[in-house]
Amino acid sequence: MKKKKIWVIDDDNIYQIIVKKIMERSEMFSEISSFKNGKDAIDELYNSSENIDAILDIILLDINMPIMDGWEFMDELGVIKPKFNADIVVYIVSSSIAIEDKNKSKSHENILGYLSKPVTLDDLILIASRD
Amino acid sequence: MKSKKKHNKYIEWFFNRPKLTGTLTFLFLSYIVGFVVVLQYQVIKEDEQRQMDTILHVVQQNIEQSLKNCYTTSLTLALTIGESGVPKNFDYVSKSLIATNPTIHTVQLVPKGIIKYIYPMAGNEEAMNLNILTSPHLNKEAFKSITTRKMYFAGPLELKQGGMGIVGRFPIFQNNQFWGFSAVILKLETLLKSSGIANVDQSKYYFQLSKYSPTEKREIFYLPKKENFNDNYKISVQIPDGDWKLYIASKNRSFLTKEILIPGIIGMLLAALFGVVIFTLLRMPRKLQSLVNKQAKKLMNSEIKFKAIFDQAAVGIAHIDSFTGRFIEINNQYCKLLGYSQKEIQELNYQTLTHPEDLSEDLSNINKLRAGEIENYSLEKRFISKDGNVIWINLTVSPLIKKDGKVVSHIAIIEDISIKKDAEDLIKKSEIRFKSLFEDYPIPLWEKDFSQVKNYLKELDLVNKSPEIVEKYLKTNPEVIAKCMTLVRVVDVNNMCIDLHDAKTKEEVTCGFKQFLGESYTCDFAKHIIAITQGKNELIADSTIKTAKGETRDVKYRWSIITGFEESLGRTIVSTEDITVQKHNENIIKKSQQRIESLINTIDGIVWECDAVNFSHTFISPKVKNILGYTPEEWLADAAFWQNHIYDEDKHYVQNYTELKKNQHLDHDFEYRMIAKDGSIVWLRDIVNVVLENDKAISLRGIMIDISKAKEAEKELNASFDLVTEQNKRLLNFSYIISHNLRSHTSNIESIISLLETAENEEEKQQLIQLLKTTSDSLNETMFHLNEVINIRANIDLVSEPLDLEKYIISTRNVLCEQISSNKVTISTEIPAGTLINYNPAYLESILYNIISNSIRYKHPSRKPVININLVEENNIKILEITDNGIGIDLARNGDKIFGMYKTFSNNADSRGIGLFITKNQIDAMGGNITVESEPNKGTTFKIYIL
Repeated sequence: MKKKKIWVIDDDNIYQIIVKKIMERSEMFSEISSFKNGKDAIDELYNSSENIDAILDIILLDINMPIMDGWEFMDELGVIKPKFNADIVVYIVSSSIAIEDKNKSKSHENILGYLSKPVTLDDLILIASRD
Repeated sequence: MKSKKKHNKYIEWFFNRPKLTGTLTFLFLSYIVGFVVVLQYQVIKEDEQRQMDTILHVVQQNIEQSLKNCYTTSLTLALTIGESGVPKNFDYVSKSLIATNPTIHTVQLVPKGIIKYIYPMAGNEEAMNLNILTSPHLNKEAFKSITTRKMYFAGPLELKQGGMGIVGRFPIFQNNQFWGFSAVILKLETLLKSSGIANVDQSKYYFQLSKYSPTEKREIFYLPKKENFNDNYKISVQIPDGDWKLYIASKNRSFLTKEILIPGIIGMLLAALFGVVIFTLLRMPRKLQSLVNKQAKKLMNSEIKFKAIFDQAAVGIAHIDSFTGRFIEINNQYCKLLGYSQKEIQELNYQTLTHPEDLSEDLSNINKLRAGEIENYSLEKRFISKDGNVIWINLTVSPLIKKDGKVVSHIAIIEDISIKKDAEDLIKKSEIRFKSLFEDYPIPLWEKDFSQVKNYLKELDLVNKSPEIVEKYLKTNPEVIAKCMTLVRVVDVNNMCIDLHDAKTKEEVTCGFKQFLGESYTCDFAKHIIAITQGKNELIADSTIKTAKGETRDVKYRWSIITGFEESLGRTIVSTEDITVQKHNENIIKKSQQRIESLINTIDGIVWECDAVNFSHTFISPKVKNILGYTPEEWLADAAFWQNHIYDEDKHYVQNYTELKKNQHLDHDFEYRMIAKDGSIVWLRDIVNVVLENDKAISLRGIMIDISKAKEAEKELNASFDLVTEQNKRLLNFSYIISHNLRSHTSNIESIISLLETAENEEEKQQLIQLLKTTSDSLNETMFHLNEVINIRANIDLVSEPLDLEKYIISTRNVLCEQISSNKVTISTEIPAGTLINYNPAYLESILYNIISNSIRYKHPSRKPVININLVEENNIKILEITDNGIGIDLARNGDKIFGMYKTFSNNADSRGIGLFITKNQIDAMGGNITVESEPNKGTTFKIYIL
């Protein structure tokens, strides 16, 4: 099975460190990128000269972030996605227990799933092994 | 005879034309006057002429005498000349000649035309040696005398010696040879004197002497000329010795006219007068004649009129012989009434035509009339017409011709009164019918006479006064009512009336009616008196009576005046219908109605009824006054009162709803608001019943119940419910925040622990423990923040006190002095020193710190930060405005999150997203509000509303 390239968009530094460690342990991912907020990630997508498939397979997206939050990111992604002609799998990862967020992510066509923190190794394996 | 007639005819012709005759008379007379005047004129004229002729003749003779003397003188003088041709004793002869002939002034001898001898010489020296024949103005006349060999008088001419003179020259011939002249010179004056002109009446005539001058070819006058000489009447005579013409002229030219004109005018005036007199005289008979004609015409007219009246009269007129009763003259109507022709009736007399029953009265009357006992009479009697019918007539008889004080003929006027008689019969019959109707009428009837009452009221001057005045008067004078009662006279009562009163006879009621009057009658009668004063013809009232047995009965009292007695009230009909039973029933109904009414009034709601079509109310219970303030009268006066007083917002809904339910025939129960009289809004619950008749809604009935209090309670309940909901929401939100913020830490801890458990080496373990510690610190910090927020929220008893705003700003600056100086921040305030605001000191400190530190933190990289703090007042609310020139916030994107917890909008390392959240909570806790205005790259203004 081919190793996946994954982006983690979250403003929580500690979470970034932790999730990176877990991913490394899972050995399911070929590349792990961290972004502090949605804006940084979108900028990266715009600036990338390579094919999108080459740099990205899965996005783990936090909702509450400064500058550009998860939902804004999804809106931006919706705008630029047709350019790339590629399948981007987005998972919402949040500590929020608000039912609205869960429902909203379910209704969003580009969101594949909703993960509650903490993210476990099993969660990541499941994501990575899904095709 | 015939000619006389003709003669008369001519005279008459003139008589009939007074104007023409007068004029002709005048003309005729004036002609005679003219003729006489002309004759007179001629006589006077001839007389005058004759007189003048005589005078002239005398004068002429005198002159001629003087001239003859001259001739003699000159001849005598000539004889002095001797054979030798020289005069002898010239002076002596001359002297004696002049002495004998005083008219001569000078004598001369003029041999060969040259004056050689002159006597007297004195004064005539100049003439000496004058050659006459060569002197141009003298020679012509000198030659004339030579050629004629006669003495010729030259002049008159201007004498060398002075004055006018006449020179008579006598040519002397010796042996047929001209020797010279013997000349005499006469003074003209002297000549005229001797002529006797002076003796003639100077006032009447004057003279003139003229000579035709051959040199000048015109007549030269020598006497002073009078102006009107040429116009005046004059005669003349020639004197050949000197070729002179002597005139005599009448001095007064108009004396003739004077003598002629005055009588002429008088004559004309007389003629005119006479003409006028003739005219007047002739006119008189004509005037009289026309007067006679007029009178005759009048007479004839009146006769025609009388005849017409007699013939055409609508009544029968007859001229009757009083003794025999025969008809002398009758008119057409008389004949027509009786059905006879003129001829037939003249054979009859009135006695035969009169109904036998009426004859004796008629005859006795006619006898009285004939005897002169009565002047005239009239009676109603019957005639029998030709076809045998009885005719009622009204006869009026008056005498026409009297002889010796006895009436011999009279005029009878008859008028057909059959119809009247028939009518009288009818009246009689209807009277009887009325009587029986009255007697047997099933309602008690009275005939009463109120005339005395009316008269009494008139005396009191109450008639036609306003009802209020009369009522007041009667109240203060109750004796008037009693008096009026005694003045009512009962004329008649019917059988039913006797029954009603349980009386035995009619008289018992009519005479003693007062004992039957009920107790309330006095009061009722006062109303009756008022009605009479107002001139009312009718009155209906309820009253009571008492029967003979003393029972009280209710009666319906109707009073009406019989037509024709409206003014006097002499006959009025009163009915007193027994309504005792009816009254009893009415009382039962009334009581039941009262019960229902009191029931309605006790209901704590407005009972109403309205028309189903237009919703105009027909009933509204008095409760409306308590609930809405309007009186039922106000409500019912306006057909659209209900619709007009529904609260505006509810109007549409109420109208649609009621219309819908009415059309569905459904009873309904709904709530709406109405505007009360005091302007307040009242909530009503209206329970409505649709009343149907023949499957059609005809009216609506219902009860409006005041539910304002219930509505108020409901409103309060709703408000507190909203408050609880809001608080609940906020609590939920807060719990989400807490869970989210705590969970992110706990999940991190969970992850780290799980990583620890599976750590491969010590180094990794140490690394993870370090990570755990950091997480623990973060968690601690979060807990601290949450604690702070909870504190704010839980702090109910916040203490507010007056705070010096400037002091707090300075203290904030001191706290932030390091940042301020390092970032070169300028903070300016426009707040006057000593401005106080009511606030919690800790919160004010915190708010100022948070906002100012935010402004510094989010400064614009390319300019020095400037912060402006200001306090304004708007609608009694103080607003603290803090403005910076920092990077600004994109409010379109982040406006809703700006005051949220852990919301940051930049990658600034210091951003924690808690400051504004706390600030907002603090301001909310103080009851105020915070708003933000911002534009990216320009700056941000926070407005803090302080209550």
